Amino acid sequence: MKKIRKLPLSDLIFALISFSAAFVVLTLIFSTIIVLYNESSLAIHKFGILNFIFTVDWDPVNEVFGAAASLYGTLVTTVLSLILAIPLALGIAIFLTEISPHILKTPIGIAIEMLAAIPSIIYGMWGLFTLAPIMAEYVEPMLQKTLGQVPVIGILFQGDPQGIDLFTASVILAIMIVPFITSIARDSLNLTPNIMKESAYALGATKWEVVKDIMIPYAKLGIYGGIVLALGRALGETMAVAFVLGNNHQITTSLFDAAATITVTLANEFTEADTDIYLSSLFYLALILFVLSFVILAVAKFFLLKAERGYSR
Amino acid sequence: MPEKEKIKVIDLYFWYAGSDKPALKGINMPVYENKVTALIGPSGCGKTTLLRCFNRMHDLYPGNRYKGKILLDGENILSEDYDLIKLRTKVGMVFQKPTPFPMSIFDNVAYGLKLRGIKDKSELEGRVEKALKQAALWDEVKDRLDQPATGLSGGQQQRLVIARALAVEPEVLLFDEPTSALDPISTSKIEELVVELRKKVTIIIVTHNMQQAARVSDYTAFMYLGELIEFDKTDIIFTSPSKKLTEDYISGKFG
Repeated sequence: MKKIRKLPLSDLIFALISFSAAFVVLTLIFSTIIVLYNESSLAIHKFGILNFIFTVDWDPVNEVFGAAASLYGTLVTTVLSLILAIPLALGIAIFLTEISPHILKTPIGIAIEMLAAIPSIIYGMWGLFTLAPIMAEYVEPMLQKTLGQVPVIGILFQGDPQGIDLFTASVILAIMIVPFITSIARDSLNLTPNIMKESAYALGATKWEVVKDIMIPYAKLGIYGGIVLALGRALGETMAVAFVLGNNHQITTSLFDAAATITVTLANEFTEADTDIYLSSLFYLALILFVLSFVILAVAKFFLLKAERGYSR
Repeated sequence: MPEKEKIKVIDLYFWYAGSDKPALKGINMPVYENKVTALIGPSGCGKTTLLRCFNRMHDLYPGNRYKGKILLDGENILSEDYDLIKLRTKVGMVFQKPTPFPMSIFDNVAYGLKLRGIKDKSELEGRVEKALKQAALWDEVKDRLDQPATGLSGGQQQRLVIARALAVEPEVLLFDEPTSALDPISTSKIEELVVELRKKVTIIIVTHNMQQAARVSDYTAFMYLGELIEFDKTDIIFTSPSKKLTEDYISGKFG
């Protein structure tokens, strides 16, 4: 065995301090998991792991709780916001890397980053006072008249549009996550070697063909990573959607109905939770969200690492 | 028998974006049909800059400027209204490093054909096979056409890129130091290929390697500091150049 060289005392102290700083991170993560699990154990025992997840009822009066409605709201808003945000974000990223004249690149890039810096409560206020009325007045009736008439998918656009619903919440979320997808997609697209692009241009490819056939395949993994990161962000977002979702524990087929997400339920109800089982159920919801975010972050990391390794080769 | 001029460069100047000093200063030279023309000279002499004028690669970066004319079959390719897509169909290019696209071997070679709207499967297959045979790669890849091109060796990748350029049947092929990233065996294969290909296409090759220029080319242009110092048949340039500067470079006194 190799003998460890003796360190001077100052180095030893320094190493110890930096080690404990790093150790704090691990402690925090594990203690969070333990606290969440402990606090929710009452609900887990009473309702069961799977049963809780699949129960729609959320009835504090009769003390029956289930995560299904909140989970449904979370998943619908997240997926819908991704559907709205991905094309927009990719469009911006492609414009910034390949099409934009040089003088526009910096201002647009900075504007995108500023969009990411706006506190989410401001998005929530804007959503309540500005976006929701516009949605109720113009956008949603128009969607009802058009897409609402299409068989099958028309079912998503039924009801009386109030503007406080899944759809409005998804639009706000989409605006919030566009900067994330855009900046990661832009950085990934920029990693395409110039010589590859030139090779395609030299074969007579147009700008669009170079983007589609060369740059996007190159940037694919990075773009996936960006999308999954944005997905995690959308899952956990609270304040931006709290005002415009209506906090109604129900599962509906129409996007024009009020709903709840896990985060919104937590934000609204912690102060009202007057019984142990109510509080414990809220903790259980939080645990579910934690696990979900954890898994998604792991997937995102996987893609981004793979992408990096791909480029360095 | 007089050679036919495929390309004629007339009083060509070129400026990179943001620079007042021209990178090419009044170049005049012919490029003869079905011959190999080598561009040689020390680093920074403008040989690659000149090569990239022939397919207007410089147009990809805003701010670059040309002055003068390059006639391809008598038509000025530097004129504003010359169709760049058409130009790049006629004038193909192979780069310093192999540039296989992130797709299969077959799709790489078929790429230029598909860009031109050729969808018919049997026609694509025929032309891909022909191009791979011309690039002396067919026997090595015919059993794995559907595999990613990135799995080939460096030398194979470079021949694949040549096949990709040949598939669209260009009239002129530009080589920008095509062997600088390859080992000696792969290099000699590419060199043989260049000599063979000139029967069908006109070739312009930039090279750092003077022996390579002597081995593969019929004509050689020696450039220095953005000017064309001497242009002549390769054996004359290498045995009895008329300019002192050329002789010094050939004999290794500088460069």
